[in-house]
Amino acid sequence: MGLLTASANFVRYNVIGELPPDFWNFAADRLAAHAFRDIDDTFDEQSVGWVAVDNMFDSRFAGTSFAVADYLVLSLRIDERKVPPAVLKKFCLKEEDRLKTERQIPRLSRHQKTEIKENVRLSLIKRSVPLASVYDLCWNLSENTLLFFSTNQKAQELLETFFKETFDLRLMLQIPFLTATKFLSPEEQERLDALQPEIFI
Amino acid sequence: MDLVDLIEEKRFLGQEFLTWLWFKSEERGGSINLPDSGDIQVIFEQHMLLEYGEGESHEKVICQGQQAELKEAKTGLAMGKKLEQARIRLARDNHEWRLSLSGALMQFRSVRVPKTMSPGEEEGDEAAREGLILDRIGLLEMATRTVDELFRLYLSIRLNPEWTAERDRISHWIAKR
Repeated sequence: MGLLTASANFVRYNVIGELPPDFWNFAADRLAAHAFRDIDDTFDEQSVGWVAVDNMFDSRFAGTSFAVADYLVLSLRIDERKVPPAVLKKFCLKEEDRLKTERQIPRLSRHQKTEIKENVRLSLIKRSVPLASVYDLCWNLSENTLLFFSTNQKAQELLETFFKETFDLRLMLQIPFLTATKFLSPEEQERLDALQPEIFI
Repeated sequence: MDLVDLIEEKRFLGQEFLTWLWFKSEERGGSINLPDSGDIQVIFEQHMLLEYGEGESHEKVICQGQQAELKEAKTGLAMGKKLEQARIRLARDNHEWRLSLSGALMQFRSVRVPKTMSPGEEEGDEAAREGLILDRIGLLEMATRTVDELFRLYLSIRLNPEWTAERDRISHWIAKR
């Protein structure tokens, strides 16, 4: 459901702040510093970074460029190791049962259970394979607007944080009220601020 | 006001815009005149999502299928439900887009752009890749610009005295169903 797929889902952002002079070199440096790093061979729980829009394995933009005319085109890749709640529950109960038998005690304290849960979670995470999510974006540099190809709120929050970290620029989601602002005279803006829902019945 | 509060307080704006757009599209048989661009086609297809209530009593209703089901959506409007998402066909300059537009957040979903390049055309090099990406961006931006033009037209009526007459026409259109 991205930039190049047959059907696309997206939201719009405004980029807040001034672009630095010599933008493309600035972007190249920042993207190199925040490129995606693979965690397939580590035990890291999560990795977030930039990759090429048409190849999620290209994080050095070796074969292709992120600069397309007056647009910066990228994908945000998030790899995450997750443990399904039912699996976590099963292994926690198993470990609790083992400890109770070993120590000859009828029940465990809340503190012990919490500790078991965290240890079990960490050991299961190490055994799980990271799942990859990829979200495309297209930044129109002449208008300082951005299309982000996901309507998922968690993905949007991650984008907002990581974009700020990468470029030192803030993103503002364009909801109708904020989109309206760019079309209105000061008098109309005042009327919009005070506007109440209409009743059509 | 932070964004979360702003979304909640002003969510009616986008929903009201969708309701107005549906009315406007039916008023002239699917044709809407944009001040800067002339007539374009805006057709509401048979899939709508309405919502009502707030907080814990918040519920959503999907209306889809044949024309009869859109009457159900209009009945929902008459009962005070809000139009939250609609499937729309937009046509202008010999191109046609299909998209679902959500009201409260103005999200673009399942957007299908017109076919301008056939698969396999211009394959291989970096210039061809750029051409393909730019073509795609251009078509998506044309859809967003068209929605913006429609939204601007709605605001120019909504925030000015002609809204009273427009509101009466919408109420009549809903009641007529």
